[in-house]
Parts: sequence; structure tokens; C-alpha cells
Amino acid sequence: MHQMTKPKRYWMTRVDRDAPAGVQPEFPTHPQADALATRRAFLKTAGFSFAGLAAADCGSAPQFALPHTQQPELTPGRGYSYASTCGACEAACGLLVTTHDGRPTKIEGNPDHPLSGGATCAVGQASILGLYDSLRLTYPTRGGVRTTWADVDAEILAALGSARQNGRAVRLLTGTTTSPTTSALIRTLVASVPNGRHVVYDPVSSSAIPDAYLVTHGLRLLPHYRFGDADVVVSFEADFLGTWIAPVEFTRGYTARRRAGDQGVSGNAHHVQVESRLSLTGSKADRRIRVAPGDVGHIASHVALRLSMLAGAPLPWTLEEAAVDSAVLDELTERLWASRGRALVVTSSQDVGTQVVCNLINQLLGSYGTTIDLDRPSNQRQGNDNDLQALRAELARGDVAVLIVAGVNPVYDLPDSAGLVRDLERVEHLVSVADRLDETARLAHVVCPDHHYLETWGDAEPVAGVVSLSQPTIRPMGDTRAFIESLTAWSGVPQSAYDAVRANWEQSIYPRAGAADLFSAFWNRTLERGVVELTPTVAAPLVFSGDGLSPVDRVAANAGGLALVLYPKVAMRDGRHAHNAWLHEMPDPVTKVTWDNYASVSPATAERLGVSDGDVVRVVSGDLMVELPAFVQPGQHDGAVAVALGYGRAGTERFNNVGPSWLQARTREGPVGRSAAPFVVAGDGGRRYDGRRITVTKTERRHRLASTQEQHSLAVPGAVAPIGTSEHSVVQETSVADLGHGGHPHEPHPDLWPRDHQYPGHRWGMTIDLDSCTGCSACVVACQVENNVPVVGPDEVSRHRAMHWLRIDRYYAGDDDDVTVAHQPMLCQHCEQAPCEAVCPVLATVHSSEGLNEQVYNRCVGTRYCANNCPYKVRRFNWFDYPREDVAANLVLNPNVTVRSRGVMEKCSLCVQRIEEGKIEASRNGVAVADGDIKTACQQSCPAEAIVFGDLNDPQSRVSTLAAGGRTYRVLEELNTRPAVQYLKIVRRDENESHG
Amino acid sequence: MAEVGQALELPLIAGNKRPGDVTNDVMGVIERRPSLLWWGGLLLSVVALLIGLVAVTYQVATGIGTWGLNGTVGWAFDITNFVFWIGIGHAGTLISAILFLLRQKWRTSVNRSAEAMTLFAVVCAGIFPLIHLGRPWLAFWMMPYPNGRGPLWVNFQSPLIWDFFAISTYFTISALFWYVGLIPDLATMRDRAKTPLKRKVLGWLSLGWDGSFRTWHRYETVYLLLAGLATPLVISVHTIVSMDFATSILPGWHTTIFPPYFVAGAIFSGMAMVLTLMLIARKTMRLEDYITPRHIDVMCKLVVVTSGLVGLAYATELFSAFYSGNAHEQFAFINRATGPLAWGYGIMVACNVLIPQLLWSSRVRGRLLAVFVISIAVNVGMWFERFIIIVTSLERSFLPSSWSSYTPTLIELATLLGSFGLFFTLFLLFCRFVPAIAMAEVKGVLHPHPRPPAEADGTSSVLAEVKV
Repeated sequence: MHQMTKPKRYWMTRVDRDAPAGVQPEFPTHPQADALATRRAFLKTAGFSFAGLAAADCGSAPQFALPHTQQPELTPGRGYSYASTCGACEAACGLLVTTHDGRPTKIEGNPDHPLSGGATCAVGQASILGLYDSLRLTYPTRGGVRTTWADVDAEILAALGSARQNGRAVRLLTGTTTSPTTSALIRTLVASVPNGRHVVYDPVSSSAIPDAYLVTHGLRLLPHYRFGDADVVVSFEADFLGTWIAPVEFTRGYTARRRAGDQGVSGNAHHVQVESRLSLTGSKADRRIRVAPGDVGHIASHVALRLSMLAGAPLPWTLEEAAVDSAVLDELTERLWASRGRALVVTSSQDVGTQVVCNLINQLLGSYGTTIDLDRPSNQRQGNDNDLQALRAELARGDVAVLIVAGVNPVYDLPDSAGLVRDLERVEHLVSVADRLDETARLAHVVCPDHHYLETWGDAEPVAGVVSLSQPTIRPMGDTRAFIESLTAWSGVPQSAYDAVRANWEQSIYPRAGAADLFSAFWNRTLERGVVELTPTVAAPLVFSGDGLSPVDRVAANAGGLALVLYPKVAMRDGRHAHNAWLHEMPDPVTKVTWDNYASVSPATAERLGVSDGDVVRVVSGDLMVELPAFVQPGQHDGAVAVALGYGRAGTERFNNVGPSWLQARTREGPVGRSAAPFVVAGDGGRRYDGRRITVTKTERRHRLASTQEQHSLAVPGAVAPIGTSEHSVVQETSVADLGHGGHPHEPHPDLWPRDHQYPGHRWGMTIDLDSCTGCSACVVACQVENNVPVVGPDEVSRHRAMHWLRIDRYYAGDDDDVTVAHQPMLCQHCEQAPCEAVCPVLATVHSSEGLNEQVYNRCVGTRYCANNCPYKVRRFNWFDYPREDVAANLVLNPNVTVRSRGVMEKCSLCVQRIEEGKIEASRNGVAVADGDIKTACQQSCPAEAIVFGDLNDPQSRVSTLAAGGRTYRVLEELNTRPAVQYLKIVRRDENESHG
Repeated sequence: MAEVGQALELPLIAGNKRPGDVTNDVMGVIERRPSLLWWGGLLLSVVALLIGLVAVTYQVATGIGTWGLNGTVGWAFDITNFVFWIGIGHAGTLISAILFLLRQKWRTSVNRSAEAMTLFAVVCAGIFPLIHLGRPWLAFWMMPYPNGRGPLWVNFQSPLIWDFFAISTYFTISALFWYVGLIPDLATMRDRAKTPLKRKVLGWLSLGWDGSFRTWHRYETVYLLLAGLATPLVISVHTIVSMDFATSILPGWHTTIFPPYFVAGAIFSGMAMVLTLMLIARKTMRLEDYITPRHIDVMCKLVVVTSGLVGLAYATELFSAFYSGNAHEQFAFINRATGPLAWGYGIMVACNVLIPQLLWSSRVRGRLLAVFVISIAVNVGMWFERFIIIVTSLERSFLPSSWSSYTPTLIELATLLGSFGLFFTLFLLFCRFVPAIAMAEVKGVLHPHPRPPAEADGTSSVLAEVKV
């Protein structure tokens, strides 16, 4: 027996050595470990946790989630895409959700989706941040106290049971539900109680459209507008490229039609916008007609009358003289008449009479069956303001026993919220299915928080026949429950959302699909692709009935009076995403203001009122009053005061601390913006957003509007010489006629010097079609998500320190009344002879062999000389550490992109991480990178398909073809920086050339 | 004409001094207890310095965002102050080197302080490029040193690297030149030192000066050589500083006239600063005999000349913009003169071109208070010149969408104040511990034969006329 040797014990300090054996922890903790819950530590923990969660997901339920592209196994660190459906609004665009190690980090459009076709909007792009919002409710509550789902269900079932017995009213109040499964379950639930009814309203109502179809076609429906089939589009106030119904799909169709032709230009396309405020859509119009708020009905009546004359069946109308020059109307009418069958007239007016006149015009133009599809109507707006009005009456009478409010926030959305709150307090059982304690959920007895749409199974049929699936991309972050599951539980047959959706698909969708294979195969195929198109069951075609149509009278002229126009803003829409910092920081496409709503007035009115940007004005109508900063908006009608909806949401006070805190930081108080919802007019004909007479008075206070752009025109004021008016203009325009003459293909300047860079392999480049770009800013947010761009807050924005790598410059031309607008996405131009590269002392910005201007963050010392020398001013400096307002939002960070620290410069990298990923993937497969394989985040999201990225060394690539076209130019070409980003000129389709 | 003749007759040093008087006068300043005025000045300067220190500490700890800069205006107070201080420094080198080579004997009274001023100004200047960095702790990356990153070198194309070399060279040569000039005086101090330790230290510092012919001979040779070495620096440093702007592509910066324009401006501002300091020093340290109206007069003339050069540069800039036919260029200059910072442009032209014209008049040159006010005006004007060049060009460049404006924050104002605090603290300490007047050199320009008292009285009556 040999003596056992004691194992050697190593020690680090004498304290260690002298301590009794076995006492030391294996990993000594730092004395301040608890205090070290830093961002990094948090990220590490969170990253591991979610990797674990994902692994758990994969292990336990592999039958659930199927990647878009079949993979043998999941590789940690790789991003995977899952087809899903966007739940940010009712347009329900198709999505591919990219997840990294079990957490969604980016959403992209699903290219297979027939409506959205791979594009998304800014709101959709930003909606992923909502998933990681730590202020979301993570558990059900009863009486404001955390409880269990069993408890909640017991209470609700008891309430429903007693209502069933007593015949008391049970009401389910929701927004538009595009999900067939949810709709079916709602029908089941409502049918299970004798006095049950489902009331639908849209926060921003469009109920006048279905109401008008009830008049003209005998059926309450929202038609499917096909902008892609319309050459001539006339829009009366409808902001169809910005916010109206399905802006992504409409933008796609609209821009595709305008591009159909030689050199990507259709000479036939023409767009007339008749509106009182300058909307995003109006900014793209070939002809914009300014009218007083509410006057569109009268003008539409004039158009209808003229068209009826041209059609040879004049209407027996006698109309007051229109507010618009009759020559303009004549021309408009003739243009429409000449494009019969290729014309589309839309209006967002909430006046049923105006909508009816619009239907009449479309009937006269033969739009039904060509540019307006009634056979496959849209489900994207199902709200019925008459039902809502009836519900409010019931509530006022105290007739409702159980009210379930799901996905909407009536206390915020609807006018007379004080009255509504009073009535809601009298409801015996008020159940809210909200994701947070919003204005309505605060009153509810029971709150049943819904999943975020990225956490749940679901489906959508935004337009009849286009059905898509949603699949969860992460395990729910809290003890929330899908609304579908709540509905099944309250119907008495609890089911998982997966089972409910699958069952409903097997029952109702699968038979409609007429698929030859088994349901499971059909299901898997659809799940992977995300969407399926069904052939519609065509009922008897709807017939237009022109009986008893009457024109709309002119709004009584109110000399010098002001009328309010309430509108949804491109980023904030109806306010349901008011907790999204990305959307608050996204500059409005037209005004370029962030973090606020404001009262827009025309320059003439501003002068009359003696106000300028930022002067707080008091807007009064009867006993309603709101104080808002004024904003002077060229192109707006002098009688209109435009205020955005969706602001002033409860809880947005959280953003008062967003941004760095330092000595001279200016913080704000109260919610972000002020709510204009009380000013909505709720009448018998539905909620109306324009026309309320108001008085506006200036106060002595000022409120700093955080705008990203101070100078609004390319023409420089006063005695200063104009720049950009010569041939080397920043924004260049051409006309259809000029293009017909071939234009001039872009030729590089001859140069005596040898080229600095050879680009032996790829030469990445981009073209941006300014004619297509609508300024919708989806790219701005897509870039922010993809590249981990921080939110800096209103104070920093007003100090011109916004961090967006991609911004959209907006310029006005013309006078204050009749403005022409140009949107110009501006990002790093990746110059071949980059002014920034020469001046960096430490070589932190260098040129790659593939033509990229690369910023090396960890080498940058922050002299900012590069930014000073950048003629495009696209470089962004980290003035501070810009922490996320919500630490949970760190989970959305793209792991492939460095998070920059303070003191370093950053800028657009042309999504170098995507380029590298694409190259690696191609090399792994042993093939060359194919054109279109690599898409930058901005390009991917763009609904207008204005951005094309690719290899300029490949003469066949789309980007090379476009760059070689006659519309190409480079911004500030005279500086000979030789940018790799090239622009295609705007095509002005003005009156004269279309005749010529 | 009589006045001019009289002026020529005036000795360089008043008061009918003998060499021993010079030593006593100059050393007296050091050896006496400091005056209340000095204490007061030091207190003010140190307070200003501390305010600046707090500001810079806060800025480094919090972020450069505590300055009023933005995405469009990436430089403003920082580089303005840098160029301003570098410019101030130039007069010292000019006086000590170029005027030495040109045998301008009047320089002896002012060269020591002027050189000290150069050193301190360069110290102040050097702080700004350092603290203006986003990550100042990595400033050493600007140095080309062997490293394990490849090795990764600096970008020799970047004017900021040229700047780094130019300024470090300048500082080294200036310090060396100043020190070498100080050696004989250090020996004097050693000889008068009362404690053995002081004697020992000063003995080392004076490098064992023994006052022998050989020592003097070698000293003079070295001094001449250093003067020769320093002379090109007067031109080169500000030329290179101007290239920070001239090599950019920004309209208003990208100008070939910048090197001579900046050098002239630097000498102009430096002379003004020397005047300011000398007028204060002669008053507070009772050095009226050494810094006489004649010195002031000569320096005033240099100010007028350089003011003319600067004015010519302004006019040339405008003309070349007009003549270039380049819209961007034209816009930059119209904007500079009439844009949002037109008031600053007005200050710049008034202080740098118009006000110094008063110095054509010998009566103005003789009124030291007027000269003092004018010299302050020139300092202000030259600060504004740099500010206007930097900010107006940046805030309205090529794309109107990115136009912006600039307002300094409290932190920046405190930093500027701090740099003055540092400058004056160093200068006041210098006055206390180092002979503010080059005794050895002044002794060389004393009247070889001291005049009888009657004439000396005449001289002092001239002095008495000078209104201070």
C-alpha cells in the first residue's frame, strides 16, 4: 500500500490559503458582483437565457416552427427566417422574421406575399421593438392585482354564464380582425350568448367607405383598390402612400405602375391629389390641388358631373361654383375620361355622400373590375361607426353586463372619453385584452394581456383569398396568452392557439385551397411559405345602382375661419405604437419633425396668427382645448389647421428620460405630444376627422420641435446665391419628353490620374430611384433595426445629433401655396475618392477592395474631421453613450453588427454584414454571388422598390443596368468624389408635357 | 519729422542704466516678495484654470456631447481655440528668431516673455486637439509608433498627422530656444542665489556657465543656429495648421491662400498678444525702463503691417470666390459675410482690419491705453476670424438639408476660460521665477556711454508724456 499523496492545493492569496478547505467558491465572485449588472452582463445572461429557451423550443416541440428554408439543423449564431404575418396594423403584410439564437432581431417583408411582396412599412419594421418592451403586461390581473389565467377564466366564464341566464348584453369590442381563426372564434363566442354582439371599430375610422358601398352596391364592403392597374390616380384626401388602409401594397402598385415603361418611366402615369394638408401622398402627386377641409366632396361632385356629361348621360345636378379653377377640373376630368378603365379615384373622406360620389365617378370611369376589385374585397377595415354609436348608447344606458375590449383602446381613440370612462365604470364586467395598462385597460376589472404578434400562432386574410399564417418566433416573454386562446377558453373549449389555428385551417381554409395533397402537407407548405392564395368563390357580381344619388354641397365658406384636419401620421398612425421609440424618432416624411405632434398651419395663416415654428398655440373648439406647438407647413390650405392623431398616449412619459442626461440636457414633461382624439367629431354618419371649426390663438410659450432638417428648400433665401440650380443640382429632375429623346447616359469624367482603386472582384453599388421614392421612411427604420442605431431622444435630435444612418432629405420647390416636393434618401455614398478617407489621421475609415467605405469603430479616436469633410453629411458621431431607454430593448440588437461606444464615428456600411453573409453562403455552396442574393436592409424594406443594391462590376446586374440608364446622376458630381450610390432623376409629369 | 528724429535718438533702454542696474532691476522682480497685484492675478488665473479643469473633466467623463457641436458642425470652439493659441505663439518665435537674425536690437526687452508666451500658448493650444477627440485616451494613436497591430501606422495623408508633427516640433524647438537663451540669466540667478540648494539646481540648469569668452562664443553660435532652425517654424507651423482646412473639400476651407493668410494672421495675433502682455508686465512689474514706448511703437508698426496683410487676405478670399465661378465657393463667402454669423464676420473685419488702422497715427501709438485696447481688439478679432472660418463653412455646406447652427455650451465657455487661466497662471509663475527680461541680451544693447543726468532727464520727460 502506498501512502496516498494529498493533492496539491494551489492558492492565490494568503487569505485563500488560510481559509478552510472547501470554503472557497469555485468561481470567486467579485465583491460588487450585484452592482455589476451592467449592459454587458445583462446581455450575456439574456443571450444565454434565450439561447436556452430556443434550444428548449427546438427540443420539445419541433413540429411547431418550420424555418422558411428547410434546414437540417439549426446552427447557433446563424440567423433564421420564419415566414409570418405582420401584426402591426390591419394591412397584415407578409413577413420573414429573422431570429438569432431564438430571439427575433429583424423583420423583413416576405417576397412571396402577393400583396406586400417583400416590402414593409416603417411601423412594421419598428414593431419588433414592441416585443421587447419591458412595460408590457406580463401576467393577467384582476382588480389590478396579479392573478392566474384559471382565475381570470373562472371569473369571465361566470360572468358570461350569468349574462347567458339573464339575457344580459355581452359585447365584444375589437378593432378590425383580419384573422379568419379569430373571427370564427369570435363568432362562436358571440353566438354562445343570447344577447351577444361583436362591435368593430377602427381607431382611425374608414367606415364611410363600406357605408357608401351599402348605398351604391347594396353590400357593406371595403373594396380592394388596385393601384398597380391604374395609370391615372385621383385621390381626394386619401393618404394611400402613407397611412391609408394598406400603404405598403398601394405604394408597391403605384410605383410599379409609374415605372412601367422605357427607362423605368411610364409616360401615362398621372396622379392628382386633392387635399387640404400636405400629405406624404400629396408630396408625390404630379398635380396637387389645395382645397379647404371638407371641400373634396363638392369638388368630386363637379368631377362626377363633368364625367357624366362626357359619358353622354349628364346628371341632373346644379352645383355651386367650385373652389377650384374650372379649367383645372376640366383638365382633370378629361384626363380621367381618356384613361377609362385605367383610372382610379379614391377618397378617405368620412362623409358617406362624398364616398358615394366617388363610387359614382369610379362607375363612370369603369374602374369596377379593373382598378377596383369588389369580388375579392379587403378585410383591412371592418369598423362600423354606426355599431359603435349604438354600443355607446347601450353603455350610456348601462345595458351592458360584459364588455370585452380586445386590441383597441376606446378611451384614447374616441372623443368624449370622459363620458366613455363614466359609462365603462358602470359595466359590470369590463375585460380588457391589452398588452399593457393603457387608458382603457386601467378601467378594466380583468386584464388578459395578449401575446405580441411575434409570440403567437395566428393567421390573416387581409384581402379575400390571400391567407397567411403567423408563427411564433420566440417563446412568450411573460405569462401572457394569445387572444385566440382566451377566446377558446371563454367559449368553454380551451385550445392552444396552434390547435385552434390549425383546426380552423383544416376546416375552412384547406377546402377553399383545393389542394391535391393532404392537409398536413398543405399546412407545412403554407407555413414555410407563409402565405397561400385561394381562388375566391365569386358570388353574384355586385351591381352599381345610381338611384337617388345627390351631389355634395360646398362647405359653407367661413371667411378667415380655420377648420381642423386630424390625420394619422406616417410613423405614429393611430397611436397604438406610441411606446415605440423608433417610431417617435423617425422624422415625419414631410415635416421632418420627430417626437411630437403639432398644429400645422400654412405660411399665410402663420403670418396672420403671428406664429412661427415652435410657438405654442391654443386650439379651441367649443369647450375642447388643446395646446400644441405650431408648425408652418408650405402647401397647406390657408383655412386648415392639421394635427396628427396618435399622440399624448398615457405612459409615454417614459420617454422624458430618453437620451443622455448631462448638464445642459433639456428634458421634457408629460406625454409625447398631445392627444387630438377629443376633437374627432362623432356623429350619426360616423366619426369625422376634418371640418371642425376652431379658433387658434398664440400663447407666449414656446416648445422646441425636434426637427432633423432646418433648411427646407434647395433654393437659398435672401441675397445668397442659389446653389444646386445649375446642371449639378442635388436633386435632378427630368421630364417624360426629355427621356423620350434618350436622355444622356452617364459617362465618367476623363481623368489624368490613375485610378486609386481597382476593384478586382466585386464593386458594390446602389441606385436610388427618386421618382419612385415616396419618402415613406420604411428604409430609415429598417436601417435602424438592422444596424443597431440608437435612439437619441428629442433633445439630441434638436441638437442635430440624430443617428439615423439613412435619412431622407426633403426639399420644397415653388411658392408657399403650390409646392413641389422631392424626397432624397441620403446615406453614405461610398465614394471612390472619399474625402473622409484622406483626412482620418488614424486610418479608421478606409476603402475596401469591393468599393465600400469602411468605418473601423475600434480604431476611431473621434476627431470628426471625416464628418466635416463629408459633403453629404452622412456621418454620425456618438456624442454620448446612447443607452436604450428600455434595457430589455437590447435584446433586439443585431448580433452581426457592433454596438458603437461613445466617441466614435459611424455611418452606413451598405449592410456589410449582409454582404459578407451572402459571400460566405455563396462560397459555401461553391457558387458565385448571384445578383439580388444580397439585399441591404433599406432595399429589402422599400415598398417602392426605389433602392437597388448590387455589383457594379457585373454588367448584367440590375444595379449596373439602372446605373447605365439615362436617368442616372450622382449627387454633387462636380466634387469628383465618384460615389457608388447613384440616383435616378425624378420625372416631372406636368400638364404641358402630357399633352405634348 | 522732428518727432521721428527724436524717436531714433531714443535709447532702447531708458533710465540711463548700467549693467548692474539691469541685473538689480530684473532680478529684483524675482527676489522681492510678490505684489498684491500679482497675487490677485494669480488667484484669478488659477480660479479660471480650475473652472476649465472641472469642465474638461466633466466633458471627458460624460462625452464630447457636452459641447455644442453636432453632426454638421463637428468643430467649433475646440479648433478655434487651438488655432487661436497656436497663432498667439507665433509672435514669440518671430521676435526671438527672425528679429534676432534681422539684428533688430529692440527685441531684447521683449524676447524672453514673448518666447515664454509662445511656450504657454502652445501648451494651451495642444490641449484642444487632445480634448476634442471623441476618445481622448486614445490620442497616442496619432503617433506613428511600432505596434503589434500589423503594424498599423497613421495616415500620413491626413493633415492632422502633419499637425501633430508640426506642433510637437514647434514646441520642442521653442522650448529649447527659450532654454538656451535663458542659460546666461540662469547663471546670474545662480550667482545671486542665497540657499545652497537653489545654487546647486540653478548650477545644473545653467550648465556650468562660467561667463568666459569661449562660453559666450559657443552660446552665441548655438543661439544663432537655433534661431536659424526656429525661423522656418514660424512659417511652417501655421502653414500646416492652415492645411487642416485648406486640404479639405469644404468651401470656405478649401483655399490655396490659407498658408500665407494664416501665417500673417498668426503673427498679427501674436504681436497683439505680446503687446497686451508687455503693457501689463511693464506696468505691474515696474519695467517701464526696459519696455519703453519705443518698443511699443515698433510692435505697433508690425501690427499695422500684419493687419494690412490679413485685410488683403480677406479681400483676396472674396475676390477668388467671386472669380472662381464656383457656386459653392461663392455661396460660402456670401454666407460668411451675410449669413447667420454676419455679426461675427463684422467683428472680425472691424477688429482685424479697421481698428488697427488707428495705429498709423503716432499719437495713438504713443497712448499706451489706446494701444492696449487695440491689442485686445485684435485678440478678439483674431479669435473670431478662426471661429468664422470654421463655423460658417461647416454650418452651411453642400447639402442644405444638413444645414445647422452652432451655439457653445457652458462647458465650452468654461474650457475657453480655463485655457486663459492656464496661460496666465503659467505666465504669472514665469514672471515670478524666471527673469522676465533677458538680462544678458539687454546689457548688450545698453548705451555704451551712459549719458549725463541732464539728458537722462530729457528722456524721462518724454516718458512722462506717455499716458498710461
